Amino acid sequence: MPPRINSQISNSMISSSVTPCLFNPSASALLLSSSSSCCSSRFPAFSNPAPSWPSPTGNCRSQRSRRPFSSSFFLQTRLRSRMFEWLNGEGTRLKHHIPGSTNYLTNLKERNASAASEAKSAGDHSADAGGSEEGALSDIGGNRPFPLNPSFVSESILSEELRNEIYDRVVIQKMSVRAVSVELGVDMKRVGAVVRLVELEKRWRKEGKPLALPYARTVHEMIPTTPLHHPPRRQVAHESINDLPVHRLTDPQIFYPVSESRHFTRVDAGRVFSAAPALPHSKKAGITSADPSILTDHVTRHPNQIERVGKGDSEHEVLLPADARIPHPHLIAFERDRLAKPAEYRERMHLYNERLKAEEEAEKERKREAKERLEKRITKIETKDGRFEFRFKDVVVSRETTGSNGRGTTAPGRRYGVPTYDRKKGQVKIPTRVEV
Amino acid sequence: MRNRATTPLSKAKIRQSWSKYNLYNLSRLRNPPTISRTFFQQKWTAKSVARAYHGEQVRERQWTRMFSRRIRSVVPMHPAQLAQDDGSLMAAGRGSGLEKRSRSSAGSPPRTPYAQMTFAPLERRLDVAIFRAMFASSARQARQFVVHGAVTVNGKKMKYPGYLLNPGDLFQVDPERVLFATGAPKDKVERREGRLARRAGTEAKSGDDGETATTEDAKNEGSPPVEDTIAEPKDPRETLKSLLSQAKTILSREKEVLPAKRKQEIRGFQRAVRSVLSRSASSTVLTDNLESQFTGLMSALKVKRASTPSADKEATRSAGGAQNASSSHSSPSSSSSSSPPSPSSSSSPSFSPSSSSTAATSTSEAASGISEPLKEAFQKAAHDPSSLDDVDTAELSDTEIEVLRRALQQLRDNPIDSQKPYTTPWRPRDYMSAFAFIPRYLEVNQNICAAVYLRHPVARPGGSEVASPFGESVGTAAYTWYLRRR
Repeated sequence: MPPRINSQISNSMISSSVTPCLFNPSASALLLSSSSSCCSSRFPAFSNPAPSWPSPTGNCRSQRSRRPFSSSFFLQTRLRSRMFEWLNGEGTRLKHHIPGSTNYLTNLKERNASAASEAKSAGDHSADAGGSEEGALSDIGGNRPFPLNPSFVSESILSEELRNEIYDRVVIQKMSVRAVSVELGVDMKRVGAVVRLVELEKRWRKEGKPLALPYARTVHEMIPTTPLHHPPRRQVAHESINDLPVHRLTDPQIFYPVSESRHFTRVDAGRVFSAAPALPHSKKAGITSADPSILTDHVTRHPNQIERVGKGDSEHEVLLPADARIPHPHLIAFERDRLAKPAEYRERMHLYNERLKAEEEAEKERKREAKERLEKRITKIETKDGRFEFRFKDVVVSRETTGSNGRGTTAPGRRYGVPTYDRKKGQVKIPTRVEV
Repeated sequence: MRNRATTPLSKAKIRQSWSKYNLYNLSRLRNPPTISRTFFQQKWTAKSVARAYHGEQVRERQWTRMFSRRIRSVVPMHPAQLAQDDGSLMAAGRGSGLEKRSRSSAGSPPRTPYAQMTFAPLERRLDVAIFRAMFASSARQARQFVVHGAVTVNGKKMKYPGYLLNPGDLFQVDPERVLFATGAPKDKVERREGRLARRAGTEAKSGDDGETATTEDAKNEGSPPVEDTIAEPKDPRETLKSLLSQAKTILSREKEVLPAKRKQEIRGFQRAVRSVLSRSASSTVLTDNLESQFTGLMSALKVKRASTPSADKEATRSAGGAQNASSSHSSPSSSSSSSPPSPSSSSSPSFSPSSSSTAATSTSEAASGISEPLKEAFQKAAHDPSSLDDVDTAELSDTEIEVLRRALQQLRDNPIDSQKPYTTPWRPRDYMSAFAFIPRYLEVNQNICAAVYLRHPVARPGGSEVASPFGESVGTAAYTWYLRRR
């Protein structure tokens, strides 16, 4: 295996053992065999020092003793000195961050590679192309922190301004999370999280607690950030907001023959994946004639009315089409409007706002109903002096709460024949959730 | 738990750490060879290499129990495409859509790297999430922070590093710890300074117990002006002088360590301060305490730059609003200045973090309060800008003012305090930028060192959210290793 770096140092002496062979199967054996000659750095008298060592190009401090009159040569092992050679040579570029741009190992490596190829081509041709080099340097490596893993990209984070803008819109302008998410291209969960975090930050500032401001500034200099653009410029989306989670039922590939004449839609495909029988013609006709956005709204607003198939443990809901499962189904309706009425911008926006409002109201209604249901299950009894209020809730121990094996955690109390293992050795007692 | 997470050079392992050893190991990392190795060997190597990075603090048995063969992934959907058809086009023809010659090869989406998601369940752990949020320099350190009680989850102290975060959980690390973890370590001189300061502090405390008690009483009553007048009769001129000396000490002390850019900045700052000093003898700024001294300084700079009408307007607006703000600021600054923390900063105004938190960051300048005489100065400047212009603009360029303003703010947010466990003023540790990234499943607020675990990490076409230094081959082989007997 050729040495990975510093090929000019690949010395005859211990090339394979000193060069970092992380995965060379024979590396360990070689190390063992050569250890007597090179790794006994503590007794430099026995190792052959200067002549075998390459003439130090950059710094020799790592190889020689730092004491003025010492005759000992190697204070560090060869591997360490190699490391410091790299850190003081090539690696110096990684030592400090470059404000406003990333500074990853991948960038360094690819810059080196391009420089090498440049030098090669310069050897062939006459030296020119200064401008092209600049262009190549700017986008080399991209935002990949790990050279070997191209599929991990360091994605941008929200800039301070954008974060404050989100907070401002949600808390002060009272816009809905959904609307803010669509306008700024930020996921709804992230919008919620940002509001929480900025709220917390504001409280800290008010209380005068110490903040990590220099740290925050530096991190925002190191990592790419999504800036906030003001009206004349369009806001760049921070992330894709309509991510469809891949459902477990769609993992297997299914061969399902369909006649050519059949109008086979995403709804049908969902039924096939969840092994539900095909819809009868009468029902199907109703679905195709109706406005798809109304159907989607109905499904998303009444999630417990979704049809279920299967028996016992394997009972599950019928897989819905992607239209109903993405976070922003109303955007599909908006796009349909755009296809239907391409010229009427105002009406489209009006419809869009109407839909958002309707969605918000439905959400409020749902929350209110859930609260009511909970209230209904609790009986409250006040004492005569009004000092205490006792709240009683009926206990349900049924198949639903205990589960099929009787060990469900939602049902209270000890159950016959079901041992609790919590005093046994090796039971994990780490809490599984922390209530806010 | 004993720390076996060393980063040896001979049999190098990649760790979740920002150390330079790790960086060096990372720089020479290669994919393990597959030629002439059995499938079992390949899997074994892959899993051992990957496990040295992913959750080496978790025992193997524990991890095998955590492993899940189910891989979370998402597909970004386009509403426009969904609106165009109801899916029947895909079922047309022979069952995979009508053939289109143009888009058959070019429009294929990037592949989803499922194999990189093998260790996704580990990213749920609290210690790993803290490391990913860049609050600790290694997963081990993050673990220590949790165990030592510096971490809260949803506002409650959580002492288990193995706590599995649920989507929506907010975790927070003590900012001091984060500054320590991510800041450059102290050198010998600074450590000694800190020691001396601590010793001096304890002696002073034992010496005048009664005095401090009275001052604290005064603070509790909420009557700071008595102390203020004694402690800070300085004018901005002196503040500037001390800032200048601070900059000098920084430059002299850290000649080798400072990056060139920062050195330039500091030099520019020195130049700016000098030119302001030469001119501000005639300044009429009267101040009562440190806070308004600083704001006075800032606003003096603002006035000088205020030849444009918009800046004037802003200044006068803030002058009206922030009158009482400066008075409210006085108490934290008095508490900080009553006990100078170190010899180096005793000569200088000690900008304690408590006062810095109330201070304006670079984004919000409106918070700066302005005293009465300054207001007059503003008005004067607004009415008759030429009287200021001929004096100032000749001496100080716009960029210099900007540099001075920034440096003042930075020195304020980032005080010199030798009692801190990291180099002050704070700067990031070396080689931090090579490891600096925050995956999308976390939303981080660095100011308060808090983050929200939004969702579980997912794979999507073209990228996975699990940060792993290894390539596809290692991920696949490791996944297959943990699949056995399942």
